[in-house]
Amino acid sequence: MKFTVKHVMKQSARIGELSHIKADFGIKMETPLVLLHTQAGHIPHITHEVLKLISKEPQILQIPLVSIHNYYDAIQDYDGRISEFVGSKDTISYITLNDPSNLTRQGHHVKEMVPIFTKNGKVLYDSQKYMAMINNLKPDMYTLLSDGDTNIASSQKRITKSVENTAAFNKQCISYQKKSSNLQDSFVIAPVVGGYCLKSREKFIELILQNDSFVHGYLIDGLHNNGPEVEFIPFNEVELVVKKVIDNLPESKLRVISGCWSPVNIIKLVKCGIDVFDTSYCRILTERSAALTFSINENDLSEAYEINLRHNQYAEDFKPLLLGCQCITCNGYSRGYIHHLLTVQELLGSVLIMIHNVHHILRFFSKIRQSIRDECLVDLENNILDQYNEFQCQKIKNLENENK
Amino acid sequence: MNNIKSPLIFEIIGKCETSKARVGRMTLPHGPVDTPVFMPVGTQGTLKGMLPEQLKAMNLQIMLANTYHLGTRPGPKVLKKAGGLHKFMNWDGNLLTDSGGFQMVSLLKLAEITEEGVKFQSLNEHKNEVMLTPEHSIEIQNAIGADIIMQLDDVVSTTVPDKARIEESVHRTTRWLDRCLQAHQNPDIQSIFPIVQGTLFEDLRRISASEHIKRDVNGFAIGGLSGGESKDDFWKIVNLCTDLLPKNKPVYLMGVGFAVDLVICSALGVDMFDCVFPTRTARFGCALLMNGQINLRKKQYALDFNPIDSDCTCSTCKNYTRAYLHGIVTELPVACHLLTEHNLAFQLRLMKTIRENILNGTFKEFVKKFMEDLYPKKDYPSWITDSLIAVNITL
Repeated sequence: MKFTVKHVMKQSARIGELSHIKADFGIKMETPLVLLHTQAGHIPHITHEVLKLISKEPQILQIPLVSIHNYYDAIQDYDGRISEFVGSKDTISYITLNDPSNLTRQGHHVKEMVPIFTKNGKVLYDSQKYMAMINNLKPDMYTLLSDGDTNIASSQKRITKSVENTAAFNKQCISYQKKSSNLQDSFVIAPVVGGYCLKSREKFIELILQNDSFVHGYLIDGLHNNGPEVEFIPFNEVELVVKKVIDNLPESKLRVISGCWSPVNIIKLVKCGIDVFDTSYCRILTERSAALTFSINENDLSEAYEINLRHNQYAEDFKPLLLGCQCITCNGYSRGYIHHLLTVQELLGSVLIMIHNVHHILRFFSKIRQSIRDECLVDLENNILDQYNEFQCQKIKNLENENK
Repeated sequence: MNNIKSPLIFEIIGKCETSKARVGRMTLPHGPVDTPVFMPVGTQGTLKGMLPEQLKAMNLQIMLANTYHLGTRPGPKVLKKAGGLHKFMNWDGNLLTDSGGFQMVSLLKLAEITEEGVKFQSLNEHKNEVMLTPEHSIEIQNAIGADIIMQLDDVVSTTVPDKARIEESVHRTTRWLDRCLQAHQNPDIQSIFPIVQGTLFEDLRRISASEHIKRDVNGFAIGGLSGGESKDDFWKIVNLCTDLLPKNKPVYLMGVGFAVDLVICSALGVDMFDCVFPTRTARFGCALLMNGQINLRKKQYALDFNPIDSDCTCSTCKNYTRAYLHGIVTELPVACHLLTEHNLAFQLRLMKTIRENILNGTFKEFVKKFMEDLYPKKDYPSWITDSLIAVNITL
């Protein structure tokens, strides 16, 4: 697989292209793009058959190792690739360590190993075990093992440990990669750690750049511990670190960030030059019964930035989630029906909301790319920000009314 | 009288020369239904996470919804405003609703049956007493708008020994049938099916059937079975009822859906079936096979790279191994969707096979082979051999 930077805008937002993908050599994918966040290879609530009803475009499945660890033995015996194993052999697979939609437990560090927390408890991975698993999974893309357990509150001691561990993993994993015949075509993403300490970030990048020729992209890791809280991280908190890392990385390489970033922050990160995100935010929304309904195009007759289908006001509302949206949920199902499904705890409620949310985010990214090409990303940013601010004002008003 | 529009036209396309099995085609307001048919249960206006788009692709022609549940939530008012359940749930195939009576008696301990209707304590916060009358049941079913609707009946469990009570229920069910037919607002788009009652008493079943066939209706149901009675009793009543009911109208056996029951009861002349089992069992990791079922939670499937059923053409069997499903069943909601898809496809495939064998004149051989596969040691339960002998099939 190959990554090429195509178009750089003034603020350094850029258009790139992924091509020569082994799973399907003919396809090309433009960045900034969003990986489809999955658990064990499935977007939560969405089977691959239903995914085909959402999008016919090629997509990349982000598969957290933590969600497939229970297949460790099965994968060893299995001949095929991971995308085939999870029932979607035509899609492109991308293996990450942790699930960005779940809060990752902190601590539990053991020298030269990384703990992951599976449904059956803690499991320790070292480079050897990790790469052996990756080798059997035969993914199209994967991240190297990392100790990214840092956030804005981390101590310098923890940051230093994280840098040392991850630099060692980088070396060990790459030497494994070089020898593995299964992984010769895999697109390698190296995690960049160092918490919120600019010096540590700089030092870490220096340490791993010697392996740059074996790496196709970089993941800005160690900013948070995943989970729903990422949505509320103020951009200015991460801005300096993200910019510092991007400045120190080679421009020709793919830049990845993971987590449930809000749409407004996604645009800000795109403006810094990030190329790849994921849809874990859709899971967070769907779990709280919320549908994204901010307007992306003029055709969208948006009533609010986001609506919560649990509210009784939707019981007799037979309009689609978003008037003008072309997803299968909005084409056939009403807010009232989805409200009913949620009230009676039927599975289809989450299915329908998730279909819309994933469709909406995919559309949002397509608009981002268009806006970069048209050099009007700022307009999109202001448009989304206005809608978001109005939504916040409305929430406060509603709270005040309730208190009265 | 061909020019009068009927909400149900039933044609018999083929008959088995040995047994009472037959293939029919029902034409309903939302399209044709090939019989014998299995109708999956979408209790609350949805089928276990499946999109109607997927059900259409599987060639599902009719599904069931429950009046008691829909009458409670979202309620008839919302359903009416939505333009009926078909529109509300985006399903343009056919629907059948039950009367709500059975749920009330089985779900609510406090239900009391009087001549007026079924009295029960409401599930809402007020806990007030509510009465479901035949008129009220039809009013809700009219609001739901299903293509086939059921009369409110006086259900008595087959395990109740009190014959006087059962006899009362038979006569009351007929009186309630008349009240239902009287209250029905949409006879041109919805057909009411009477329900033959009488538990395991043949004389009472005869009374019930002979009364109901005097009414001008488009089909009949056999009720009050599949409630804990022995299989030896069960098949005799089914066999009796299909003898008593007119041959030119569809016969619906309520609450039956195990594969072996579907094969036997098709041989006994039943045209329609429903059961929650195939969709409910999917949630617990159970997948259906022609020779039984497997529970994918079991460790033995952890390294099994075969599909659930290599003869099955459903998308689950085409794309997923047992090993993969083993790792996600009862963990991720998608596992439930994938197994539901397979189990539904299984039921549809079984019914299609039954129909094809009847039409090809090979039904007898099919039944024998089916039972042999299910009981390789030929240790058939007595009810299977007896019921099949009754329709001239000897295992």
